[in-house]
Amino acid sequence: MTMPGSFLGGAQDRLLPASVPFRFFLAAAGFQVLAWAALFWGADQLAGYRGGPGPVLAAIHLATLGVLAMTAIGASYQLLPVVTRRPLARDWPARLSFWLLLPGIVAMTWGMAGFEPVTMQIGADLATAGLAVFALLTADNLRRSGGIPVVNAHGWLALAALVALVALGSLLIRDFDGGFLADHAGLAQLHMVVAGFGFMGVLAIGLSLVLIPMFVLSRSLPAGPGWAQAALAGLGLGLFALGTLWQVAALKWAALACATGAAGCYLWLMRSALTTSMRKRLGLPFVMMRLSWGLLAATLLLAALTLADLGIPNAPALTGFLLVAGWLLTFLTGVLQRIMPFLASMHAAGKSGLPPLLSDLTAEGPLKLHAACHIAALALCSAGILADLTLLVQAGAALGGVGGLAFAVFAVTVATKLAKPGAAG
Amino acid sequence: MTPDEVPGSSWQAPDGLHVDTRGLHPPDPLVAILWHLEQVGQSGPVTAHLDRNPVHLFPELAERGWSYDYAKRTATEVQLVLRKTP
Repeated sequence: MTMPGSFLGGAQDRLLPASVPFRFFLAAAGFQVLAWAALFWGADQLAGYRGGPGPVLAAIHLATLGVLAMTAIGASYQLLPVVTRRPLARDWPARLSFWLLLPGIVAMTWGMAGFEPVTMQIGADLATAGLAVFALLTADNLRRSGGIPVVNAHGWLALAALVALVALGSLLIRDFDGGFLADHAGLAQLHMVVAGFGFMGVLAIGLSLVLIPMFVLSRSLPAGPGWAQAALAGLGLGLFALGTLWQVAALKWAALACATGAAGCYLWLMRSALTTSMRKRLGLPFVMMRLSWGLLAATLLLAALTLADLGIPNAPALTGFLLVAGWLLTFLTGVLQRIMPFLASMHAAGKSGLPPLLSDLTAEGPLKLHAACHIAALALCSAGILADLTLLVQAGAALGGVGGLAFAVFAVTVATKLAKPGAAG
Repeated sequence: MTPDEVPGSSWQAPDGLHVDTRGLHPPDPLVAILWHLEQVGQSGPVTAHLDRNPVHLFPELAERGWSYDYAKRTATEVQLVLRKTP
């Protein structure tokens, strides 16, 4: 058998060295544990949370920047060159972005938790620099793209959202000390929507157009609904921004309608992929992904109920929790548990010849424990927010932390198997 | 998936089945090749024509017990010969 090892890492194959994506994935696994720990610490403030420094703000950013962005950036570095059919211009800026983001996120969230403005600011500046490197690398790759236009459009939209959310985030952090913003709470809400639905959400639904058919082995998805979801998502984000800046509720309702339309297109496309799947057993990753799709719908429904002010207790906090921990975290942990052994298998083939079996590169036990704890954590924290019961939130956060540790064991196991000589065995 | 829905093209030649996936976007090359390998009685050799090295295919081949040889490997074209492992 002729082996691909001699050139798996070459530009023609668009496959980065394994250490580049895996460092992001391992960091994400670590930040997941820290996010639940910070939520446990700030459990008494979660139900009534409406913004401001403290452990809840730290938990949100450990989850969004630490877990979600780290995962999305690592996956993008590895997968976008495959989709766009253009290798990254260089490997080292990808590594640089990691070494800016890692200390940046640690310092920023530490400063947020303890309300140390200088530490928060230094961390935010480092994280911004890391995100800027990612944005430039990705923009350069998209610019040279010969790949799938509808996926590229999602990439550009996500990058535009990234620029907006970083600008808003910088303003908000400076405002903690300066107090110059007239509507800090409104802009904080816009920052969260642009981060959750804009950057992370658009990246997730865009990469899903390729990733999910690849995972389930279905034909490539029709471009029409993909273009519709991108257009509706972009329009929705624009309308929400205008609704916030001009304080017009009707614009926010229109934004929600667009977001619902985009989600409808997305869920229809995902259903199409699943119904034409050639793979008989999709396994635990798809339990998590299916759950996340249900939670996306629940998030939008709850956002509508919040906007209508129907008196649901602590609805804003519950909406934010379902957006970050429900839809996005559940989806990305599902993607990670599928993609990490897959990437490890490709890279291990390059090291020692035979492509190893995916089943030899995963860790089923820790993943089952993670799934059980994660689902229980979502249920308990949601109930705790609704009932304003700190003990329930603490119980949920503790279970989430146990699940996060189990997920970290899985991630380290995959990386260790990849690092061993003869991993392909 | 019916034969009409399988992406790319295929033809029978004296040296076995050929599957041409050139010009397809991911994941269609993967789907086309695996669909042909999964047909009853198929044990190869199957020659797959691609316009890039199919790094995502190798773990799937390993799962299904298929091996591969490179028949051609350039910057713009790859030919793999696939055989069921005894």
